[in-house]
Amino acid sequence: MSGRARGAARSGASAACSRRDALRALAASIAAAASGATGCARRAPDGRIEASLWFAYGGKNREVLLSLIDQFHREQDRYRIDAVYQGDYFEALAKLRTALAARAAPALTHVVGEVVPYLAEAGVLEPLDRFLGAPGAGHADLDVVEALGQAGTFVGGGERPLVCLPFNRSTPIAYYNRDVFRELGLSPPSTWDELRAAAARLVVRDGVGTRRWGFECPIDWWFWAALVGQAGGELLGPDGAPAFGGEAGVRALRFWQTLVHEDRTMKPPPGRDYNAWQVTNTDFLSGRVAMIWTSTAFLRYLEENAGQAGAGKFEVGAAPLPRDVRSSVPTGGTMFVMPRGAAPAAQEAAFAFLRWMMQPSQANAWATRTGYMPVSRRGLEELTRSGYYAAHPNDRVAVDQLAHAAPWPWSPDLFRVQREAVQPRLEEAVLAQRDAAETLSEAVRVARER
Amino acid sequence: MKPRHPSSPYLLLLPTAAFLAVFFLVPLLLAARNSFYAWDLLTPPRYVGLRNYEVLAGSGELMGTLLRTLGYSAVVVTLSGSLGLALAVALDRPGPVYAFVRGAVFSAYVVSWVAVALLWMWILDADGVFSAALRGLGLPTMSWLGDPRSALLALAAVSVWKITGYAMVIFLAGLQDIPRALHEAAALDGAGPWRRFRHVTWPLLRPSAAFVATTSLILSFQAFDVIRVMTQGGPVRSTTLFVYAIYEHVFVNLRVGRASAMIVIFFGFLLLLTVLQLWALRAGAPREGRRPS
Repeated sequence: MSGRARGAARSGASAACSRRDALRALAASIAAAASGATGCARRAPDGRIEASLWFAYGGKNREVLLSLIDQFHREQDRYRIDAVYQGDYFEALAKLRTALAARAAPALTHVVGEVVPYLAEAGVLEPLDRFLGAPGAGHADLDVVEALGQAGTFVGGGERPLVCLPFNRSTPIAYYNRDVFRELGLSPPSTWDELRAAAARLVVRDGVGTRRWGFECPIDWWFWAALVGQAGGELLGPDGAPAFGGEAGVRALRFWQTLVHEDRTMKPPPGRDYNAWQVTNTDFLSGRVAMIWTSTAFLRYLEENAGQAGAGKFEVGAAPLPRDVRSSVPTGGTMFVMPRGAAPAAQEAAFAFLRWMMQPSQANAWATRTGYMPVSRRGLEELTRSGYYAAHPNDRVAVDQLAHAAPWPWSPDLFRVQREAVQPRLEEAVLAQRDAAETLSEAVRVARER
Repeated sequence: MKPRHPSSPYLLLLPTAAFLAVFFLVPLLLAARNSFYAWDLLTPPRYVGLRNYEVLAGSGELMGTLLRTLGYSAVVVTLSGSLGLALAVALDRPGPVYAFVRGAVFSAYVVSWVAVALLWMWILDADGVFSAALRGLGLPTMSWLGDPRSALLALAAVSVWKITGYAMVIFLAGLQDIPRALHEAAALDGAGPWRRFRHVTWPLLRPSAAFVATTSLILSFQAFDVIRVMTQGGPVRSTTLFVYAIYEHVFVNLRVGRASAMIVIFFGFLLLLTVLQLWALRAGAPREGRRPS
């Protein structure tokens, strides 16, 4: 496990080096055998050039992705994309890092936005500019919706070499039980104060227990980032040093604490990461909570399941997140990246697939069938023109909200800071009632320490 | 016995020694070296001296993780051991019904950890079978895996459920090794069931008990799958046990050096425990000759 980087750093001792090389070769061959991947371009039995794609979806998203890949295979006969499921986002990322160290990475994969700066700065991502043809042509021919592409997702993302293309992109939005809101004469809250008041009206107590909660939201970095932005703060300072919004960060965390402990109108979902997200969804669908925040990605799923659930059937409404001193939402979901080290032919196949996915009809098929946002600008225009958004007002919410999308700072530490310094402390502050200011100053301390 | 050639014993040891070297010793030495670096697998490592150890100790993370792991192990080892012993004594009888119950208890041990974890997530859900049963009895209920106070105990309970069958089988084998004549003699001397257990069964079961304690201690220290599936170390780190903490450092926090430091500490700790246990086992073993054959 001495790894590539260290081997390269000290290539002096030849005896040690050859043993290290042997180990490395062994690790690489094991990783390659395990993943069925890459290294050199393979040709499929039918003579097509193959590229492997590691993906991290289950359920509906996986079905849609695989059906798009099938369509790609039907529409041309030069390339084949070999799609391999690698677990959820974090598992897939762990495998990708190991594979990169063993030089057995796939030609194409997708990663959460926050990790792109880290991978790019580590020099393990293939710059995509060189596949685009004419130098200086920029990213224009891909025609990506700016706020969702590299340029809009990261501060200064447009000036850097292009290393990622948007795949499944999302923003957090509010979902509410239209029937309950109608019954109480409420409209979706547009400020924090309104949210607090609405949650208090929506809650239904049952002795010491709660029959219906007013509000629920995973205690997660993503939603906290939204709150910090709304409170007027920035996650990292201009120099890239962690600030976590300063006073705004504390206010964001206190807002949750107030709703959970003082008002007792918000249910903090149990479980970590995507378990908590799943709980939030099922609570909403079963009517145990009247309003939730979660990703726009669940739009189709929530609409379909709320409409089918027998007696508990209700109509789902979507609304933009409320504002505090300003409107702000982070973007989420994943970006396509091409890890370095794949054979040129496999990269050619991978990029051909990427280009195809960025076209309006594929981008729209992906978006309308899942709930993610259309990443092609022409595709988005087409959807608007064809009256899709008039017929599906819930789909419109996230697209309109893009006007307030806050770009992520371009910092190699962004992902580590999120996972190590912030996420566990958010849980601590909200579930175990730690003082918000103290929690965040500790998070800043941990994040600064390298 | 004298070896034909002085090197023969070493030759015979070689396959095992090579295996241990490649899969245990070399990785351990690499981890020891990596623990002095800050490294993320992808960019060149940076030498930081003892910084990784300092941070682990200074932030209270090491102590917290160690205490949680010890608490979890204490519960798992004592409960699974005593339950296994009680079941073994109760079920050590002939007949198809007892055989079926023995098989049923042991079957949990054979099932994969992931399947067990998923099953228990469903049972322990705030709206799951267990909570429904408690509500039916008019007892208060809670989100067992979602509450920092109960999550670790819930995981320990699941592990106990899973490995009790294993302890039972070892104890059964031990029980069947005890000659009937001893029990009959004790009964003739007027010893009741408790005194027979206390003075005949238990002393002769001591080696089995030591074996069960050692293996289940190691098993509980290695707890990973059940945490990965059921709680991912949460809520609020309440179920972040040692091996999971190492995993989190490598694969989530991108800190190979920090994880390596934990590996080294964990190794030292396990070494200490093993030495203590071997010592206890030797001290507590029945003296040769007293054991009838």
